[in-house]
Amino acid sequence: MDIPSSLAIVTLAALIHASFQLSVSVLTLLSGHAIGAKQSSAKVTRLTFGFVVGAGVMTLLGLSFISLVFLHLFGTNAPALAWAIACGLLIGVGLAVWFFYYRRDGAGTSLWIPRAMARHLSERSKATVHSAEAFSLGLTSVISELLFIAAPMIISALVLLQLPGAWQLLGIAIYAIVSILPLFGVWVLIGSGHKLSDIQKWRESNKRFLQFSAGGALAILGFFVYVCKILTDVTGAA
Amino acid sequence: MSQGGAIDIIKRNGRRPSEAFELEKLHKSIMAALLSARTAPGQAESVARAVTRDVSEWLASRPEVTSEDLRRVAARHLKNHHPDAAYLYEQHRITL
Repeated sequence: MDIPSSLAIVTLAALIHASFQLSVSVLTLLSGHAIGAKQSSAKVTRLTFGFVVGAGVMTLLGLSFISLVFLHLFGTNAPALAWAIACGLLIGVGLAVWFFYYRRDGAGTSLWIPRAMARHLSERSKATVHSAEAFSLGLTSVISELLFIAAPMIISALVLLQLPGAWQLLGIAIYAIVSILPLFGVWVLIGSGHKLSDIQKWRESNKRFLQFSAGGALAILGFFVYVCKILTDVTGAA
Repeated sequence: MSQGGAIDIIKRNGRRPSEAFELEKLHKSIMAALLSARTAPGQAESVARAVTRDVSEWLASRPEVTSEDLRRVAARHLKNHHPDAAYLYEQHRITL
């Protein structure tokens, strides 16, 4: 797989990661609580920025960790079985996202995650008053989302392993930056005085589209990598 | 602000024990929703008082209510004053 194709796969995987909504929900709750608690706009901006940086750092660490584990397990060329499992995981998670991503209660943007976890994140977002706490909430929200983001991270790690060192670093940076773009966007909107209700209304009215596109993109990516990597290697095509 | 009568609030799904109704708690949650919707503090205070009063009147003839009913009624009254804040108030528990 050449460098542009590899980076394109990493970028698509990061875009899929970006379309998942748990971190955006926590950021929305965090900013709502901060504004509702009469925090100054500078403080709200600091808190939400801390959260975005935390989410970015955990994404960076997560992808680096998975890449390191694979490097120790497989070296720079992962076996076809590992690629096949990763492709299967992408397609499987894609189908699961289609059917189970949002809870079927109707209104709102509640996700199909354990309620105890949702309650914990909700309570932590309410209790957060320092930037360091917001940073750790950002870390935690990415960990809570692992069920959904593990598949795009795994395929990105497998792709990155094949690249030269400098390109690996660039790939990890691209993944981390692209994956936090929605959080960054929400941070800018909140910082510039947009209404939280407008942001939440947009998210609620577009949730089925986001769910369909995330699930579809996961399945397409899995199929593309399967054809591009496994079938090409098996048939010996360039 | 008065503390409300001896009204029991039955928590969601009945999993947690019921608790006594606190007017101040309701007022605080409505204030938070109004401020989250970027309402000026003075206006938020007067709207929160009006909504709390309306909800208290609704509660007057009831010995116990569920927390869902309380939230639904508060949101309905809040919607008359500030639809955006009512939306945020309703969404709070179903965002995550």
